This record gives sequence, structure tokens and C-alpha cells, in this order.
Amino acid sequence: MITIEMMPPLMFGGLVVAMLIGYPVAFTLAALGLSFGFLAIHEGFFGFSFLQAIPERIYGSVLANELLLAIPFFTFMGSILERCGLAEDMLDSMGQLFGPIRGGLGYSVIIVGFILGAITGTVAAQVIAMALISMPVMIRYGYNMRYITGVLAASGTITQLVPPSLVLIVLADQLGKSVGDMYLGAWGPSILQIALFAGYTFVLSVIKPGHVPAVPKEARTLTGWALWRKCLLGIIPSAVLIFVVLGTMMLGLATPTEAGAMGAVGAIVLAVIHHKDFSSAGHKVLLVGVAAAGVGTIIGIYFTPNLAFKIAFAIAYLAVAWVCLEAVRIPDLRDLVKQGYQTTMRITCMVTFILIGSTCFSIVFLGCNGGVWLEHMLTSLPGGVWGFLIFMNLFIFFIAFFLDFFEIAFIIIPMIAPIAQKLLTPVVGADAALIWFGVMLCVNMQTSFLHPPFGFALFYLRGVAPKEVKSSDIYWGAMPWIGLQAIMVAVVIAFPITVTGLLDAPRNVDLDKVKIEIPDIELPPPLDFGQPKN
Amino acid sequence: MRPLLAISTAIDWLNEKVGNVCNVLILAACLVSAVNAMIRYAFSYSSNSWLETQWYMFAVVVMFGSSYTFKRNEHVRVEILYLMLSERGQLWLDLIGTLVFLVPACLLLSYLSWSMFHNSFIIGEMSNNAGGLMRWPIKFVLPAGFFMVALQGVSEAIKRAAALRGEVTIDAKYERPTQ
Repeated sequence: MITIEMMPPLMFGGLVVAMLIGYPVAFTLAALGLSFGFLAIHEGFFGFSFLQAIPERIYGSVLANELLLAIPFFTFMGSILERCGLAEDMLDSMGQLFGPIRGGLGYSVIIVGFILGAITGTVAAQVIAMALISMPVMIRYGYNMRYITGVLAASGTITQLVPPSLVLIVLADQLGKSVGDMYLGAWGPSILQIALFAGYTFVLSVIKPGHVPAVPKEARTLTGWALWRKCLLGIIPSAVLIFVVLGTMMLGLATPTEAGAMGAVGAIVLAVIHHKDFSSAGHKVLLVGVAAAGVGTIIGIYFTPNLAFKIAFAIAYLAVAWVCLEAVRIPDLRDLVKQGYQTTMRITCMVTFILIGSTCFSIVFLGCNGGVWLEHMLTSLPGGVWGFLIFMNLFIFFIAFFLDFFEIAFIIIPMIAPIAQKLLTPVVGADAALIWFGVMLCVNMQTSFLHPPFGFALFYLRGVAPKEVKSSDIYWGAMPWIGLQAIMVAVVIAFPITVTGLLDAPRNVDLDKVKIEIPDIELPPPLDFGQPKN
Repeated sequence: MRPLLAISTAIDWLNEKVGNVCNVLILAACLVSAVNAMIRYAFSYSSNSWLETQWYMFAVVVMFGSSYTFKRNEHVRVEILYLMLSERGQLWLDLIGTLVFLVPACLLLSYLSWSMFHNSFIIGEMSNNAGGLMRWPIKFVLPAGFFMVALQGVSEAIKRAAALRGEVTIDAKYERPTQ
């Protein structure tokens, strides 16, 4: 006979086996959850009506969840920026600026990786764009092949951690925290990580100068003012886009979702401006629009919003609309946008269906006291909190060989969140506990992009690397950078202040309060199976 | 096999059309959301029905786009063992997986969510927000969407069975979706 105590381990084992079969994860999870549900009904652990909670939950916390709209918006934004030439220009000018110092091309990749990370939030876009432009240059000037592949993959992956990363949004949703706090927590580790990468490059340039040689000054095609101008032209539009996405969110002008949507529109505008066929009339309209937006902002800051404010913004919006229409006019851009939303649609469905599948599984799992079982296992680890953290991080590190970020976030995180809340509260306080935990896991999960042989970043790199780059170079090249990321995880564990430092600072705007009322989403009665809610 | 393949072709055609609509809905959702935010900031005007439209579109895309995504074999897998299988092995795995996992699960979910929709429909449920939208149409996308996925599952199963019998050749190559 099956007792209810046997259900959680059975389900957990079943999960591992079924996933390994290799059928699409979303449907495997749904089928597994439902079959165990029937088993539990058969054994009398709960009634059939229990399964009715599943569609309610899918409706309430997946489909009607405004935060998850960020998935399509940020993906769309990334797919446009990936191909609009922005990364190329920035890398080219930065490379020329830093090239003449040893390791300079490496620094430029790291810095551009960080800036792009603050705009987009999708890894694919970044690795591909950066590899296409920087790899040939670095190869030509005799950089070590393994350094090249490693720095490109790692700097592309950092976008996971740098706000407005999609990963952080999804984690915030699954951990039940505000996105704004998650972002504040992630700034510290992401900046430290950049410093760590740059530091590694510096050390390499001292002990093995041959691996990261300086580019001869004569190789510059631009010098002096022209070079600086090009650098600024690359950075200023990006800075504006960063403000549109992050600034509006942090100031409380937009929800994370809306910021994503505005970012996507901003990306289209940026792609149009960047395109060679951008008409001169469009240029003028754009300038008028920018001026109007400037005037409007000044009025908005120094006076109460009045009619002039409204008119100024109306003009600015019309200019944006005009520029977007240019995207329809220019065939290249039309295709770019079209391809963008087509891939976005499929990725959105794929990702969201994993969540739907895992909802089926986790409702049944929790209904069979799986939460209690997990909690008992995890709290009885030796070493208390630290034992738990070390175990969890090792676990995530290894499971990241098999699962992607989204699968980890949707399947594993919800199960351990209540336990983490309980265990970590004494260390950093109730509010910051899950932020610390989430950011820590986010740093950790970056490694999943670099694990050979399935790491995504390596996979993209393979796709765009020239033939002379050996696969073994790509795999071995990633190793030191995985090490650097692991060091970063240790730093975050040892010094929670790296995450919580910014959280404690007083803020004028409470992001929780300015969040738009999410129109009633009729959440089903909370399925509380007795674990502590945060 | 021929009549079955005709059914499969019909299902594919249907989901292709539905998928194309979902593609455009993504762009529409993006524009609606951006415009909502812009208008709220400049003109201090916001409408609950437009705010709700955002996630209505998302819900429609997720539920109706999934069958299309499945048709294109773009639902992510844990592919470590899968990639070791021969082409026939992969076809077998997909066939069995679809019949054992996907079709029953989706039909059951469709059945379970039908009653949720039905309850909402008979009371003519509306949004609780002033000026909000009707609720029951969006609850309808759950049973309908799961049913469409199950339908596409039938089509894929037919195609794979036919391919295993050597009657057709299909492109069932799996590539990890990018993200």
C-alpha cells in the first residue's frame, strides 16, 4: 500500500526519470502531475475536486499574471537589438579606444557586455552580436583562442544578472518579491562580477601578456575626436534606452511589464535611427520629438503638469509613432520586426507552458505534503543555514547541466522558497531573505549558460564562430569564467551586504505601492498546505 | 494511413493559421502596453479595459500559440538521452510520449478547465474593475487552448506513425529553442 509519506519521494523520483526521457518538459510535467493526482485520489489522499484547483491556478497565477507579460516584451526587445547593429558599433569604437592597451579588446567586450546587459536581458542576443564583431578582430590580433571564447560567452551571460534581466523578473514572480527590490539587490553583484572579469583579464595581461596582446596604434581607423564621437554615439542612445526601461521602472512611472513594452518600442526606434535608409524627414521629426520630450520633462519636473506638458508629450509621442512607421516603410526593418515577434511568440509559449506544466505538478506535490517532506530534508542538513545554502547552490550548479534557467525557476524555486524564507530570515531579515537568495541563485545560474556541452552561450558561440575555432577551445575557454562565477557565488553567500546594501538605503518611491492595480485576477483561494507564507 | 494523414494536414493547417494570428497579437500586446504607460504618464488617463486587454492578449497567445509551437517542435526538452537516439528512436519516443503524456494530459486539463469556464459563463462574470472586460471569454481560452494542443498532438502522432511506416518523410529534427 502507498502511504501519503511515500508520495513526495515517489513524485520526485518520477520527475527526474520522466524528464530524462527527453519528451518536451512542459507536457511531461503536466502528465506526471495529473497521473500522481489520480493515484492520490485513488488512495484517498484528496478528492477529485482537488484537481479543479489546477485550472484555477493556471488561470489566476499564470495567464492573468501581468508580470509574466514581461517575458514576451523583453524577448522581443532583445531580438530586435540583436540585429540592429547597436552592439557592433559599440564594440568597434570601444575596441579602438581600449585596443592599444594589453587586454584592451577583452575590457571592451566586458564593458559592452555590461551596457548591453543593462538594456536587453536576453543572453542569445548578446553573445551572438558580440561574437560576430569581436571574435574576428581578437583572432586577427593574436588573442588566445580560449580567452576569446571565454570572455565572449561570460560577458554575454552577465546580462542574466544585470537589471532589467528577465531572469530577475521571473525569479521575483516565483519568490513573491517586488521586481524593483530584486533589481536593487542585483546591482551590487553584477558590478562586482564585471570587476572580477576585468581583474582576471588584467592578471592575465601581466602573467601571460602573449594571450592578450595590445593592438598596434596604427590599426585604429579613427583617432582623436572622431573616435570619441563614435563612442558617444554608441553609448548615448543606449543610455536613453536604459533610462526608458530601468529609469521609468525605478521612478515608478511604469510597471516592469510596461517598461518592457516601452523598451521594445524604444528598440524599434533605435533600429530605425541606426538604419542607413532612415529618411531626412524622419531625422527632423525625431529631433522635434526629442526636443518636445525634453521640454515636457522640464515642465513636469519644475511645474505641475499643465496643458503645455500634455502638448509637449503629445508631440513627442507622435514623433515616436512617426519613427515607428518608418520601420514599416523600410523593408529590412519590417522583416526584422516580423521575425522578432514570430520568434518571440514561440519562446513565450514554450516558456509559459513550462510554468503551466509545473503548476500541475506542484499543486499535486504540495497536496501530498511534498513541501513538508522537502523542508524536513533541507532543514536537517548539517551546518544549518550555511549547510542549506551550500547544498542548494551545489544542487543548482549541477542541475543546471541538465535544466535551463526557466525550468529551474518554475520547477525548483517555488518548492524551496518557503524553506529559504524561514532559514534565511535570521541572517538578513525577513524582507531581504528571498532577495538575497534569489540574486545568489541568479549569479549561480549564469553558470548554466557556460557548462559544456549544453551551455547556451557556448552553443551560440559555436553557431557564429569561424571554422578555425575548435569546439574544444570553446569548452575549455569557458572553464576559468565558470570559476569566476563560482567565486562570485561564494562572495554573495559570505557577504550578504553585496545584495542587501542597496535595499537598506532609503528610497523615495516604494515600488510596491506605485505598481498599477492589477485588475482583479480572481486568484483562486490560496492553496495553503500549511507551509509558512512570507 | 491516407485518411489519417488528411486529418493531420487539416489540423496542421488550422494551427498554422491560429499561430499566425498569435504572432501578430504579440506585437499588438506590446504596442498596447507601451501606449497605456505613455498615455497614463502624459495625460493621467488610464482605462481598465485597456489594461486588461494586455493580459487577455497574453493569455490568448500562450494558450493558442502553444499548438503551433508544438507543431514546430520548439517546446524545450532535456535532450541528453534524446540526442543519443537514432532518428527512428526519436520518432518512436515522440509518438509514444505524445500518446501517453501530451494527449491525455491536455484533454484532461481541457475537461477540468471547461467547468471553470462554464461557471463563469452562466453567471455572465465581469471584471471587478470599473469599466473592465467580460471574464468568461478569456476563461474559454483554457479549455479551447488545451484542446488545440491535444489536437496538434494527434496530428503529430499520425505524422510520426506514418514516417515510421515509411509512408512520408517528415522533418522532426529538434533544435533547442534559443532564449
